[in-house]
Amino acid sequence: MTDEPARSAREQPDSNEPPLRPSARSLRGLDWFIFFVADVQTGFGPFVSVYLTTQKWTQVDIGLVLSAAGFVSLIGQMPGGALVDAARSERLVGGIAVAAVCISALGYAAMPIFPLVLSAAVLHSLASCVLGPAIAAISLGLVGHVAISERFGRNARFASIGNGLAAAAMGAVGFISPRAVFVVTVLLLGPALIALRAIAASEIDPERAHGAPSRRRTDKLRAKPGDLMHSRPLLIFAACLLLFHLANAAMLPLMGSVLTMRSSRWATLLIAACIVVPQLLVAALSPWIGRRAQIWGRRPLLLIAFAALPVRGVLFASVTNPELLVVVQLLDGVTAAVFSVMVPLVVADLTRGTGRFNLGQGIIGTFVGIGASLSATLAGYISDHFGSSSAFAGLAAIALVGLALVWLLMPETRAAEETE
Amino acid sequence: MRGKLRPAMAAAALLALTVAVTAAFAEEGAAPAETTPPADSAPPAGKPVTPEVTILNKHEVEGVLGREVRSSTDENMGRIVDVLVDRSGEVRAAIIDFGGFLGLGSRKIAVDWNALHFPAPGKPGSRIALELTRDQVKAAPEYQEGKPVVVLGSLGKLEPLPE
Repeated sequence: MTDEPARSAREQPDSNEPPLRPSARSLRGLDWFIFFVADVQTGFGPFVSVYLTTQKWTQVDIGLVLSAAGFVSLIGQMPGGALVDAARSERLVGGIAVAAVCISALGYAAMPIFPLVLSAAVLHSLASCVLGPAIAAISLGLVGHVAISERFGRNARFASIGNGLAAAAMGAVGFISPRAVFVVTVLLLGPALIALRAIAASEIDPERAHGAPSRRRTDKLRAKPGDLMHSRPLLIFAACLLLFHLANAAMLPLMGSVLTMRSSRWATLLIAACIVVPQLLVAALSPWIGRRAQIWGRRPLLLIAFAALPVRGVLFASVTNPELLVVVQLLDGVTAAVFSVMVPLVVADLTRGTGRFNLGQGIIGTFVGIGASLSATLAGYISDHFGSSSAFAGLAAIALVGLALVWLLMPETRAAEETE
Repeated sequence: MRGKLRPAMAAAALLALTVAVTAAFAEEGAAPAETTPPADSAPPAGKPVTPEVTILNKHEVEGVLGREVRSSTDENMGRIVDVLVDRSGEVRAAIIDFGGFLGLGSRKIAVDWNALHFPAPGKPGSRIALELTRDQVKAAPEYQEGKPVVVLGSLGKLEPLPE
């Protein structure tokens, strides 16, 4: 549907960017690369803990490995983004990162001994720090800023379909043998690399992929890395996202344990539904959101997504019927659909012309990581002392602060010349 | 004066160094000399102290960590992730990682050791049976280290483990 990107008529008159004509083959290659990467990247993550438990690992060791992986994926964000900015072939970087994830999966499957598992976990984290920016960079390099909004919408659709199918397939495989999950991940490397090869390297403009003005390779035009840290809108956006993830990350796990407590027979199925329902909504909505972002601008959509979060928190705190909780998860789907498109899009807007698009993603990713990792601790603390309803209310209150921040401080980032 | 003093100081320093080095060597030499006699004399002095050995074949015992637990109605009750013992070493409770999907929503719950029934060891894929159902386990408070442990007894009633 978006194989023919909007172009020429909407090319900015003031810049000399040549119209981009990525071939349908390249765009389809990108679709499938994202699909398989979602499978590979998120496929075995949830099984690490279960797998190590079956291998008689103690909870302390498992916790250590997971914490190390979390720490690396936090501090690796900015170097990962900077690496993608420095790369001349985003395709090569993406391919190496996917291969690294598969090597990590092999490591887990080969032998569950501590040094090997720790290395595999760290390698997986490092590769993930590079993979996300690399996919966004390939997209931007292919279609340019003019059509990127719609492209990110399409990316989000393929990623969520990939995630959903991976969860289902890995769930089925993991039921038979947790170790087999890692082997299936490795088998998916082949299709991922074939899809990547279908994207013509010549159609990815490396300057554009980094958010730099095209075909003018002069380092003067590139912003210094430090400049981004002083970009006010970028920092406001980062703060908004930190608050968002602080409020959001713990909500579903907390609700999962509430479900486990309230409903016995259907708990597992309901939790599965709570994971899948938002994914389906992301797949359905995100391309539309990509187009709306170009017509309405970014702010209205960000406000909708932020407003849905406190409502969800309050509903989780007050609704007791387990089946209704799944319906509340529709709100999660709306938020997730908006954010999966809007986060790379706003970063692309804000770093336009700097040549530091991926470093910008890394900065945002760091803040997201900080918010998400503090979220569980905070929610766990409130939940232990005051009960889960208070925890949901507390998370909703944080979400309200985030909403206020977007409302009062976050500027519209859509470039003026692209309005329709 | 100065011309004479300097060699004298040098000589003194050299002497001090020599003494120090010799002392160090003496110490080094002495150390093995002291430790060797017991090492040499131990084997002939008596039989090597071997700990008592019990041989258990694989059909008698089995590890429990990571093993799957099923309820009496064959529901999946999660896996054993830890075992609690008291001061006398007696096993009091097992911690099972209960419920959830894809790592989401699972809770660690302590169940009474006596509520667990173990199958004949050595059969691959055999499961441990718990006298409780999911309905009885779901409401139990989560096990947290460093806090009083609430152990789920075999009749499904909660009993705090005495400190």
